[in-house]
Amino acid sequence: MLELSRLSKRYGEVQALDGCSFRVERGRMLGFLGPNGAGKTTAMRSVFNLVSLDEGSVTWRGRPVGQRERLRFGYMPEQRGLYPKMRIGRQLAYLGRIHGMTTGEASAAAEQWLEELGLADRIGDPLEKLSHGNQQRVQLAAALIHDPELLVLDEPFSGLDPFGVETMAEILRSRAASGAAVVFSSHQLDMVEDLCQDVAIINRGRVVMGGEVRQLKADSPYWVIEVEMRGGDVERLSRLESVVSVDFDGYRHRIVVRKGGDLSDLVSRLDLGGDVRHFTFSAPSLSELFKQAVAG
Amino acid sequence: MTSWQAIRLVMGREIRERSRSGAFIVSVAITLLLVAAVLFLPLIFADDDVRYEVGVVGDGNQAVIDAAVALANPPGRKVRTTIEVIPFATREEAETAADAEEVDGVLMDGREIVVRGAGGEAGGALESLLQRGARSVQIESLVAAGSGEVVSILTSQPLQVRSLSGADAEENRGRSVVAFGGLMLLYMAVLLYGSLILSGVTEEKTNRVVEVLLAAFEPWQLLAGKIMGIGLLGLCQFVGTVVIALVGINLTGVIDLPEFPVDSILVLVLWFILGYSLFAVMFGAAGALVSRAEDAQTVVAPISLVAVAGFFIAIQAVSNPTSTLSVVTTFIPPTAPFVAPVRFAFQAIPLWQMATSVALMILTVVVMTRLAGRVYLGGLLRFGSRVGIREAFRSAEL
Repeated sequence: MLELSRLSKRYGEVQALDGCSFRVERGRMLGFLGPNGAGKTTAMRSVFNLVSLDEGSVTWRGRPVGQRERLRFGYMPEQRGLYPKMRIGRQLAYLGRIHGMTTGEASAAAEQWLEELGLADRIGDPLEKLSHGNQQRVQLAAALIHDPELLVLDEPFSGLDPFGVETMAEILRSRAASGAAVVFSSHQLDMVEDLCQDVAIINRGRVVMGGEVRQLKADSPYWVIEVEMRGGDVERLSRLESVVSVDFDGYRHRIVVRKGGDLSDLVSRLDLGGDVRHFTFSAPSLSELFKQAVAG
Repeated sequence: MTSWQAIRLVMGREIRERSRSGAFIVSVAITLLLVAAVLFLPLIFADDDVRYEVGVVGDGNQAVIDAAVALANPPGRKVRTTIEVIPFATREEAETAADAEEVDGVLMDGREIVVRGAGGEAGGALESLLQRGARSVQIESLVAAGSGEVVSILTSQPLQVRSLSGADAEENRGRSVVAFGGLMLLYMAVLLYGSLILSGVTEEKTNRVVEVLLAAFEPWQLLAGKIMGIGLLGLCQFVGTVVIALVGINLTGVIDLPEFPVDSILVLVLWFILGYSLFAVMFGAAGALVSRAEDAQTVVAPISLVAVAGFFIAIQAVSNPTSTLSVVTTFIPPTAPFVAPVRFAFQAIPLWQMATSVALMILTVVVMTRLAGRVYLGGLLRFGSRVGIREAFRSAEL
């Protein structure tokens, strides 16, 4: 288990981290969310001792993270980059070796990963000869080559086409399933909701909401009602006291209501003589939780 | 993984990838071509006749000289060798002329050669030619007598050789060649490989691979591995070139080399390694502060300036190895690698000064590597504009 506790870091005038704490469990995936500049990259870098913290500590299985622990971690930085002129097979093998693999193990793992990513025939090509999408795949293999126990990925889905996204998601799922702790940052909240059991939402250097996604939804003080109807006057609903907001996307109204309000009153008022085509009643999406957490 | 294993991995990659690159192969080829040109061009264009001026005193000289000229001009040889004979009345007059380099050597009574300095530029070749002439005269008299042993004549040096400048002339010349040569080599290596390290560091920063590497390595391990890799590769190239040049010189005899004193060479190698390390660390840290090659010149200028200063102070030390400036700069780490070996070559440095200077230097290299590692980490993860050294230092307090 990776635990970040009370991390603080100031760069000049900017307080990048301000008591940031969360934990990543083995065998689970955590989505690390937050607006731009909230401190996600700084927090992820601190796991690899790339940031000297003003305060706080990073531990792995209860022990402070040192060079030896870091060799069992895999990292995909936000700023992607490998050696452009180095052949991809040798490059991956080198990255395996710097994480403590023997030459033989590293070469075998490089071949295996290139095979898995459909790049087996490019093993002798320098990275710069590959297409952008294929370079991204090599970058992923670079983070996974040594079969890490913890994967830290900074925006792994950005810049990927839908097939790339699917491959990435599949691989991350299988890493978590085989017992690795996985944490990645993303702005694609639907993707995170789909993949992650846990989330941590950071704003201004502090985790403002965190835990199991299911639990966070259950604990949310709101419900979401989605209605699609012809005619009728839905807008009137916004005058009800329990209604937080009403949004209309051209087809459907999305109504956020406070829990514990008078639901029956609300539902009765929905029967406004219109022709109802769609009606759902659900917990808020991660996207809504995120907006609340960051706004509040 | 130990630090040494980490350093070795970085070093191995630098050497493998760099030695495979086209630029490296081209630079090796050009260097070898230059060496070959320097060695063989004089031979190709050497159709100037050789002319010696030899002073003679006493009798029995002409036979030796005639035989020498005949031996030097076998049938079919394009280059003509002539010896002009200048008679002197007394030994003193002849020696004075030799000392003033009015003659290339003096032959006395057909038994002795006097030269200014043993192994001097013209002296070595003339000396061996006259020895051969004297041997052939002895063999002819043997043939005339009808009996005697040829082998003992062929393996002997029939003429005695005396040097006017004393026995140490040879060694002194060797020492100054080592001192000057070492000075030039270090200066070239610092500027040449320093810029390679600089661009290597900037390159890793530009292509952003550095963050992946630093996630596994400590910054100083990455820096040390890079410096040692580039240094070792450069050193191999350097030593290879020098060896090829020496072999070539021996084969062609274009340049007459003095004997090199072993202690001078060992001291030179030690200081070369220390000096290279210190400057390489500084260049590495400088490279981490910039993300574009254009900005590199600004941060490099002060370091190059220190190397230039060291070089000139050392030149001064050649003629004045015990001056206050020479002594003081022996204890200043960036100038010591230039000054100390020069002073040693001229035997003008007490042991305690040498030991203190080496110890200071090792300490500085170790401390600088750690500090540079810190600057390296602070600078490497900042992209865009140039990072101030203080800012880099503070943002990576380890």
